[in-house]
Amino acid sequence: MIATFFLIALLQIKVPDAAQVLGPPQGPPLAGAQLERRTMELSSELRCPVCQGLAIGDSPSIMAANMREQARELLSRGYTREQVLSYFEKSYGQFVLLKPKFQGVNALVWLLPVLVLAIGFVIVVTKAKRLEKTPVPAAGAAAVPEATSEVIDDPYLARVREMVEKS
Amino acid sequence: MNRTVLIVGIVIVAAIVFILFAGLGKDPAHIDSPLVGRPAPPFSLKAVGTGEMVDIEKLRGKPVVLNFWATWCGPCYEEHPTLVANARNLQPGVQFVGVVFNDDEDKIMRFLAERGTAYPTLLDAQGKTAIAYGVGGVPETFFINPEGKIMAKFEGPLTTEALQAELAKAMR
Repeated sequence: MIATFFLIALLQIKVPDAAQVLGPPQGPPLAGAQLERRTMELSSELRCPVCQGLAIGDSPSIMAANMREQARELLSRGYTREQVLSYFEKSYGQFVLLKPKFQGVNALVWLLPVLVLAIGFVIVVTKAKRLEKTPVPAAGAAAVPEATSEVIDDPYLARVREMVEKS
Repeated sequence: MNRTVLIVGIVIVAAIVFILFAGLGKDPAHIDSPLVGRPAPPFSLKAVGTGEMVDIEKLRGKPVVLNFWATWCGPCYEEHPTLVANARNLQPGVQFVGVVFNDDEDKIMRFLAERGTAYPTLLDAQGKTAIAYGVGGVPETFFINPEGKIMAKFEGPLTTEALQAELAKAMR
């Protein structure tokens, strides 16, 4: 009698189901070592919401353990990596994805470094070209000793140099 | 050339200052919930103590204050009296529901016996309901309108003022 009561209670418990959000699974159900490997991979892509920048795979918190378990269950039911990521994103927002998506303002994260590199490259090339155009001093000029070729503005320095040369 | 460098420098520094300044007033721990404005994920869980099944979909027709908490959460102790007092004042026009995850039924019973209760407290054994609601740290409270749509989410311990302000969004 008591067992039946608990069975009924258990049957009535209904937690929010991924199928309501994601529809049917789009991949094959996983099991064994493959399931563990995929769960590990996914766990490194999801951010633990109660930690400081940790993946759920690296966090010892209860919340992260629950999320790993949820990811494992969804993969075992045949939900794909993209579907599982999307499930978490739908409840936690893009914050939960450790790798931001290539869209909107986030695209700048990818585009800005490339743009800055390209601008730097253009600057370097332009400078190099300008240097190429500046006339090279005549061959004879290079043979002149350095000390005499320099124009000394500083009277003190000129005096020092004079004294050194004399001694 | 020097002028160009100066202008580029000013533009870069201004952009950085703008970004930092824009983020200054924000709480870094706050996450905008994508669930606000969407239907509350349906669940049916067992109430601690009474064993009564509470189905969130059956509560349509009145605003629902859905509070996620746990006995291992410090701020939840601070928040509990506010929730109980407001539930006593506002029910039955508004339904209060507590959801506890990753907790022990005995500890919850003791907590409620010592501190009182005025609404069902449901046990979310594996935290799946919490995940579906995007719960990070507890306490977190959702304000659901009579049509079953989440209208607001509050993170951290509620005060009466905060509760009433958020609840007003679910009453409209």
